[in-house]
Amino acid sequence: MLGSNSPGTGSTSELKYSEILKLHKESGSNLNSGPYRVSVLSNITVHQIKEILELPLRLEHINADVSIGDYDNIVQDSLNCEGSNAVIIFWELCNIVDGLQHRIELFDDEQLDAILEKAKSEIDLVFKNLQQTSLVLINKFTALQFSRSNIRCNRLEELANQLNRYLTQQMPANTRLVGIEKVLSDVGVANALDMRYYYSSKALYTIEFFKAYSRYISPFFMSANGKAKKALILDCDNTLWHGVLGEDGFDNIDMSPNSKIGAIFSEIQAMALTLNKQGVLLCLCSKNNPADVAAVVSSHPDFQLRKEYITINKSNWQDKVSNIRDISETLNIGMDSFVFVDDSPFEANMIREHLPEVTVLQVPERLHEYPQMFRDNLSLFYNLSFTAEDKNKVEMYKQQAKRDSAKKGYTDIEDYLASLGLKLTVSVDDMSIVPRMSQLSQKTNQFNLTTKRYTEGEITSFIENEDSKVFSFSVADRFGDSGVTGLCIVKLCDDSRMADVDTFLMSCRVLGRNIEYAFVDYLLGTLKQSEVKTVAAQYSSTNKNEQVEDFYDKCCFVAKSDSNSTKKYSLDLVKYEPKRLTYIQVINGRSD
Amino acid sequence: MSAVFDIPAEMINEESSPDTIESWDSLKHMNLVVGLEEEFDVVFSDEEIVEMLNFALIKELLSSRGNDSSTSGQVLSQEF
Repeated sequence: MLGSNSPGTGSTSELKYSEILKLHKESGSNLNSGPYRVSVLSNITVHQIKEILELPLRLEHINADVSIGDYDNIVQDSLNCEGSNAVIIFWELCNIVDGLQHRIELFDDEQLDAILEKAKSEIDLVFKNLQQTSLVLINKFTALQFSRSNIRCNRLEELANQLNRYLTQQMPANTRLVGIEKVLSDVGVANALDMRYYYSSKALYTIEFFKAYSRYISPFFMSANGKAKKALILDCDNTLWHGVLGEDGFDNIDMSPNSKIGAIFSEIQAMALTLNKQGVLLCLCSKNNPADVAAVVSSHPDFQLRKEYITINKSNWQDKVSNIRDISETLNIGMDSFVFVDDSPFEANMIREHLPEVTVLQVPERLHEYPQMFRDNLSLFYNLSFTAEDKNKVEMYKQQAKRDSAKKGYTDIEDYLASLGLKLTVSVDDMSIVPRMSQLSQKTNQFNLTTKRYTEGEITSFIENEDSKVFSFSVADRFGDSGVTGLCIVKLCDDSRMADVDTFLMSCRVLGRNIEYAFVDYLLGTLKQSEVKTVAAQYSSTNKNEQVEDFYDKCCFVAKSDSNSTKKYSLDLVKYEPKRLTYIQVINGRSD
Repeated sequence: MSAVFDIPAEMINEESSPDTIESWDSLKHMNLVVGLEEEFDVVFSDEEIVEMLNFALIKELLSSRGNDSSTSGQVLSQEF
């Protein structure tokens, strides 16, 4: 459920309709702030939204007063909204023309055009009439209610798309589009609709829908009333990384995007960083030695929330209530502007009890639910301010345009690969990534020529041994870096005149980019320089590595023997013709 | 019913209907129907919705759906 973990606005979502009505009645009298007037304009019957939207806002001390416009009178009603702080518009396709959902397929082109033009000019009028209103929320047009199981792209959908494009173009700065399709999918279309009332009263939606809808749009009103959260306070151990820094040590806490549990924490950090880029302040509040946390912040390779992103770091042995009070005083923002995240039920309850205005999120016991829980609460920080969002939009559009142009217009794969700006970074005998290399050897099944599994100790001894070399590589393109995704172990023998490729593997994340050939070019070039004359290699078949069965054949190695499960190859280095893939830039990384 | 129509529960009796309760209009009728459906975990048909025109008829309808009429009547006047 959207925001089901958020307190306040989420807390009424479990109530029955009758309970909402009752609580709503009681909630009216104990508010002393001025009314926050919301007008709902609609071309269908939506009167049930009144109490369902008012109650959760009142519980957040917003004295919401929702009035419902006349049925199917959006344009006319938009003239009478001077006194409204906000306007919500339900503009349903099925009632733009009565029964449009079934009639539209039988209309001729002229009629279709007329409907589109009529809707557009009505949108213009409504936007114009509402230009003095400080916040206008308009639901995106959607055909989901009628087309969710239709495999054809139908006219109703097409119309929705056209109108949404028009909305995006024409939308004034005071207007926000509401992703009603997200609410519909959150509730499930079938649970959101009650067609009994459609035919009798032109009402479409169920109580369940209105509850989810109110929950979904409440961040707009929270922000409009200065109640959006401003700062995120994070515990560290088992909140930002897996493990306890004081016990496990700098090298053993895990937040690596490449480990199973670390990836969860890496995702959390990335989301926190994203919030920071949107203007949310980040603070740390952790029971740890200050110097230990400072070391992680400044130099742990997987830690993303570097010093420049952290506003206040309260890593000490003080109780967290005092620490959060200090943060509030230093930043001069109220407790109700904070969201606090901690894995410990003790700390979480302590804050809930002593600082009830702070929104407390506890890391779920099932760790895989943690990122989704975090994501469900991002809207707590939603800020209506135009500049921040516009900036974000601009950036998004830029990236999208880049990706689209990367996809467009390339007729063959080489052209496409060339457009990606591929970089292959090769490191030799890099002790700092032994755990990752061992993990790759344990996990990689498909692009793995010999499928030998090695422990960290075994990898370390390959690195320390003069007669073997351990190559590892990462792949980057314009859109990001894969991290360490390739491993190759070569043993030298016969006074270093012969090399034997013991292991060569690549993570499936970087397949399909001809990286393997660029690496073989690099490997053989390096070996040739160090006076190696011949290279031996082999393919050992498993039931998962069929795709590399003829890899060495493609690299022009000569097959020596062929048993059922093993093919042995050798190559005279003088005879090797490099493939020289000009679109992959090879870079020397770390070496001993 | 009291919550839906915004009147004290004491004012509701067997004969309560759209004629005696001023706020019982077609929209409030819809609220009543969905409220009852949620409370008693039943779904009414289109015909039943049209027939639910006073308190006694509503109780009868609910008891025919397997709800004990005396308790449902009690809950009805209290909750609604």
